[in-house]
Amino acid sequence: MGVLLARRALLAIPTLAGVVIVAFLLLYVAPGDPVLEMVGERADSATIARLRTELHLNESLPRQFAHYAGGVLRGDLGNSFITGRPISRDIAERFPKTLELAGSAMLLAVVVGMSLGVLSARHPGGWIDRGALALAYLGVSFPVYWVGLLLILLFAVILQWLPPSGYGRPEFLILPALALGMRSIAFLARMTRSSMLEVLSSDFVRTARAKGARERFVLVHHALRNALVPVITVLGLDFGSYLTGSILTETVFSWPGIGRYVVNAIGRRDLPAIQGTVLFLSVVFVAVNVITDLAYAAADPRIAYD
Amino acid sequence: MSLSRLPLVALLILAACRGGETAYRRTLVDARDRYDPKSLDPALSTDVPTGRAVSYLFDGLTRFSPDAKVGPALATRWDVSPDGRSYLFHLRAGVRFHDGTLLHASDVVHSFTRVLDPANKSGRPWPLYPIAGARDFAAGKTSTVAGVTAVDDSTVRITLDTALAIFPKLLAMPVASVVPAKIPPDFSEHPNGTGPWTLVRWQHDDYVLLAKNPEYFDGAPKLDSLMIRIIPEPSTAVAEFESGNVDLLYVPEADAPRWEQTDEKKALLTSAPALRLWYVALNTTRGPLKDVRVRQALNHAVDVRTILDKLLGGRGRLAAGVIPPTLDGADTARAPYSYDPAQAKRLLASAGYPNGFDIELWLPQDATFARVAESIQSYLAAVGVRAKIVQRESAAAREASRNGKTDMFVKDWYADYPDAENFLYPLLHGANRGVGGNVSFYENPTFDRIVSQARSEQDSIKRDALYRQADSLSFADAPMIYLFFYNELYAVQPWVKGFIAPTIFNGQKLTGVTITAH
Repeated sequence: MGVLLARRALLAIPTLAGVVIVAFLLLYVAPGDPVLEMVGERADSATIARLRTELHLNESLPRQFAHYAGGVLRGDLGNSFITGRPISRDIAERFPKTLELAGSAMLLAVVVGMSLGVLSARHPGGWIDRGALALAYLGVSFPVYWVGLLLILLFAVILQWLPPSGYGRPEFLILPALALGMRSIAFLARMTRSSMLEVLSSDFVRTARAKGARERFVLVHHALRNALVPVITVLGLDFGSYLTGSILTETVFSWPGIGRYVVNAIGRRDLPAIQGTVLFLSVVFVAVNVITDLAYAAADPRIAYD
Repeated sequence: MSLSRLPLVALLILAACRGGETAYRRTLVDARDRYDPKSLDPALSTDVPTGRAVSYLFDGLTRFSPDAKVGPALATRWDVSPDGRSYLFHLRAGVRFHDGTLLHASDVVHSFTRVLDPANKSGRPWPLYPIAGARDFAAGKTSTVAGVTAVDDSTVRITLDTALAIFPKLLAMPVASVVPAKIPPDFSEHPNGTGPWTLVRWQHDDYVLLAKNPEYFDGAPKLDSLMIRIIPEPSTAVAEFESGNVDLLYVPEADAPRWEQTDEKKALLTSAPALRLWYVALNTTRGPLKDVRVRQALNHAVDVRTILDKLLGGRGRLAAGVIPPTLDGADTARAPYSYDPAQAKRLLASAGYPNGFDIELWLPQDATFARVAESIQSYLAAVGVRAKIVQRESAAAREASRNGKTDMFVKDWYADYPDAENFLYPLLHGANRGVGGNVSFYENPTFDRIVSQARSEQDSIKRDALYRQADSLSFADAPMIYLFFYNELYAVQPWVKGFIAPTIFNGQKLTGVTITAH
C-alpha cells in the first residue's frame, strides 16, 4: 500500500505540472483582457497601462510563466486581480462548502442508487425494475440546471417545503444535493443492477442459497460486496462530474462554493483565481483517483498492487 | 450599541431572517445583486454591486437622491470660485466613523490620495483626475496631490486643473467615499465608514449583512438590518421572491411581461426611468459604416418601437440622442429616426450600396440582447444589409469592441453619475475612443469642442444648451443605432414601505424603508 501511494504521488507530479502549463497557456490564448475587466466600463489608458505593469502582464510569456510557476512552487497562488484577496484564502473558504454539497450528493447517490439497483436486480423485469429504469432515463437525460430549477419550482415555490436557495442549515442542502446527485443515482442504479445480476447468477451465490442463507444475507453480504468494484469505479469517475456539476448547481442554488467562484473568475478574466482553482481541483482529482484505487483493493481482495 | 456586541446581535438577526417563516422581520432582504461585491473598500469600486454596498457603508462629500439629484452629504455646502476651478467644502460637524473616531478634513485628503495612489491598484481613479496634480501623483511623479488640502479641521479645498461643472457629482461616486485616515490591512473585510449601515458579516458569494448605524448623521435607518443576498441565477431570485424570502427584486427584462399579466403581481412592481441607454455602436472607422448616409440608413431601417414593445414590454422611451430625457440638457422635442425602410434604401443607394453589404453584428452573451440583435438583423436584411450575428462571452465581446474590431456592437450604458456629460463624453468624445467607452470610434472636432466647453461652463442654462447642441450634432452623424432608454423594473413585497426605485444605482441608501406586519 505504501509503495502504491509513493508511486502514485510521483506520477502525479508530471500531471500537475502539465495542468499548470495548460491552464496558464489557455488563458493567454483566450480572448478577453483581464485589465479591462478590472477597470470597468469606462476607463483611462494611464490606469490600464499602470495595472498592466504592476501585474507583470507586459512581460514576455516565459517570464510571466516563470513568475507564476515560482509562486506556485512556493505555495503562493497569488492574489485575485479583481478583489485583491489571496486565492488560497478564497479556495479555503469555498472548497469545504463544495465538498459538503458533493459529499451529500454522493451519499444520496450511493444510498438511493444502490438500493434501487439491488431491488431492481432482485426481480428483473418487475415493477420496481421498470420504474427504476424510467427514473434512470430521466435522471441521465435532464441537465442539472434544469432539474435544479424544477426542484425549486416544486419544493420551494409550489409546496413551500424547502428554501429555494442559500447556504446554512441542513434544509438548504437537500435540493442542491438532489439536483447534483440525480445523474449519479440513475447511473448507479443501472450499474448496481447489472453488476448484481451478473453476481447473482454465479456459482457462489447458488451455493450460498443452497446452504440455506436468508435472501437478504445473500443479497447484501455475498452479492452486493462482489458487485461493488464496478460501482466504485463509477463513483471515482463520477467525482469529476460532481465538481464540474457543482458549477451549475451552485449557481442555480446560490451555493457559495468553488464552482461559482471559478465561473465568476472566468467571466472576469481573473487569471490567478482561475489558474489557482484549476490547479487545486486537479490536485483533488489526482487524490480521488488514488483513493479509488485503494478502495478497489479494500472491496476486492483479489486486487493487489505490488 | 457597542461594537463588541455586534456579533451577538448579528446571530440573532441571522437566526430570525433565515428562519424561512415570513414573520414580522426587522431585516430588509435585497436580492438585486447577481454577484458578490468585489470589495467593500471604496477604492476598488468599479461596478454596481460593489458601488451600492459601498454607498451603504460610506458617504462622500456629496450624494445622489433617489431621483438622481446631487446634494450635500459629508459636506453641508461648498463654495465655488468664479473661475470654477476652486472648491471649498465645509464639512458637517460631529460626524463619526463606525469605530467612533471623528471625521476630520484630513480624512478627506487622505481618502482621495489613497484612491490615486498606484499602490492601491484602484481600477477607477478617473473621477478624481480633475483634481490638480492628481494625474502626476497617480503616475508616481509627485508624493502628494497638490490640489486637495485641509484648510482647517472642517474645511477642504480642492483645486481643479480646469473648471469642471460636474465635479460635485463625481464626488458622489462610490470611489470618492471618505474613509478614515487609519486603514486596517484588511479594510475590505472590516470597512469603517460614516454610512447609515455598518458591516456585521460578509459571507462571500452568499450575503452581506449590515446593521443600522444608530448615530447616522442624517437619521438612523428605520430598520434594524439589511441583508444583501447574492443570487446569481435570476430565476432563483424570482423563486425566492415568490416564496416571500426576499423583499426587493430586480425583475429580469425577459420576465417583465409575465409579471405584468396578473394584477396581483403587477401591484408589486415599481419602476424608474433608469439612466440606461440601449444602443448599437456603429464603428465609424470600418467599411461602409464610415459613410454617414449608411449609418443614418441603418437607423431608418430598424423599427425600434416594435422591438421595445414586443421584447421589453414597452418599458422605456425611444432614444433621440444619447441624453436620457430625465436629465437636464435632453431635447425631449427631438424626434427619433423614423422607421422608414424606403428612406433607408435610398440612403444606401446614394452611398453606393444599392444592393446592401455584408457586416458583423456583435453582442455579449445575454438572452435579451440576443433577441434584440436577431430583430435588428431581420430589419437590416429587409433593406439589403446582411448582418452576421457574432455572439461572444461578455469579456471577449467587450475587448473586441474596445479594440475597434467590431462593426456593430449591441450594448447598453448605465450612468455613473446623473449628468448629460456622462453620456456625451464617454460614449462619443474623441478622447474616449476605445477603452474610454467610445466604441463607435466617433470623432468630430466640433462635437468635441462643444462637449469640452460644456464641461467647463459654470452657467447651467448655457451648459444645457451646449449639451443639447452636441447631442443634436452627433444624432445627425448617427454613430450608433439609437434604441431606447429602459425603465428598470423592481418587485417589492407588499409589506415593504418607503422604497423608492432609484434612478441612479447608488441613490438609495434604504434608510427610510420600513417593514409592516404581515
